[in-house]
Amino acid sequence: MTSADHQATHDVVKHSERHEGPQKHIIVFVLSIVLTAIAFAAVAAGGVNAAFTVLLLLVMAVIQVLVQMGYWMHLKDRGHMMPIIFMLGGFFVAGTAIVTALYWVWW
Amino acid sequence: MSATHAETVDGKLPHEPEKATLEGRNKVLSFWLFLGGEAVLFGTLFATFLALRNQTNEGPTANELFHFSTTAYATLILLVSSLTSVFAVQAMHRHKVTALRVWLMITVLLGLGFLGLEIYEFTDYVTAEKFGMTTSAFSSAFYTLVGFHGAHVAFGVLWISILIGQLFKKGLTVVTAPKVYVSAMYWHFIDVVWVFIFTVVYLLGKVG
Repeated sequence: MTSADHQATHDVVKHSERHEGPQKHIIVFVLSIVLTAIAFAAVAAGGVNAAFTVLLLLVMAVIQVLVQMGYWMHLKDRGHMMPIIFMLGGFFVAGTAIVTALYWVWW
Repeated sequence: MSATHAETVDGKLPHEPEKATLEGRNKVLSFWLFLGGEAVLFGTLFATFLALRNQTNEGPTANELFHFSTTAYATLILLVSSLTSVFAVQAMHRHKVTALRVWLMITVLLGLGFLGLEIYEFTDYVTAEKFGMTTSAFSSAFYTLVGFHGAHVAFGVLWISILIGQLFKKGLTVVTAPKVYVSAMYWHFIDVVWVFIFTVVYLLGKVG
């Protein structure tokens, strides 16, 4: 193997490391479709315990949001500590508003 | 092309051009702060909706109003558009400007499709179902929350359209790249908000 070849191989390896393929984003897309389909099907089927359906819907939504924010918005990549703190702060205030409206207004 | 990359030391566009300059990195970081604020904004609108969703004032209820098919189509359109904006950013990282512009154009078209569907839906509610802004507390909360999301989609469509024009004019540089990246973040966030809307507003409305 010549030095030039070695350099070429090295470049190829570096290249593939740097450019992530579309595969994992397509997996996130398919997963999102499946989670959405489960939520729609659970409601369309009816008959099931309403409290269980509500819980199932919320779990499906939260999983989908976490996966999309992690992979599509790159929150799971390194160097995203501050963005995660910003978003957690936002969700905390949003959650407080929702809990307040639900369990205080109609108490 | 090389003339447009003059901002970098070696004259080449780096792999992640959105993070090549301090200004670009600051733009991305501060946009996350903005999205945290947006989460609060939508959180308060969701809180209002959840508190008032059963106050129908003898007008139409959520269960009478909503159709699975419209919501499913809107969800699918927005989800696909979120994926196409992922592909846009991936094309940007490979410095494929034409592919980047095409993916952004597809994203804009899907955004317009979503808006068209929402306008059709709202028109149907107002005219056929007699479900207006002032019909009930439920209707006011519904139009405010879902309409606010629709306004975000409309703003995103306008924003990304202008960015496509700028990419034609200036090409991909360390100045235009952070704008593309940040607009993709915004678009994903809109899709994330829609996940909660179709769950909490439409599906929960069908459960009762």
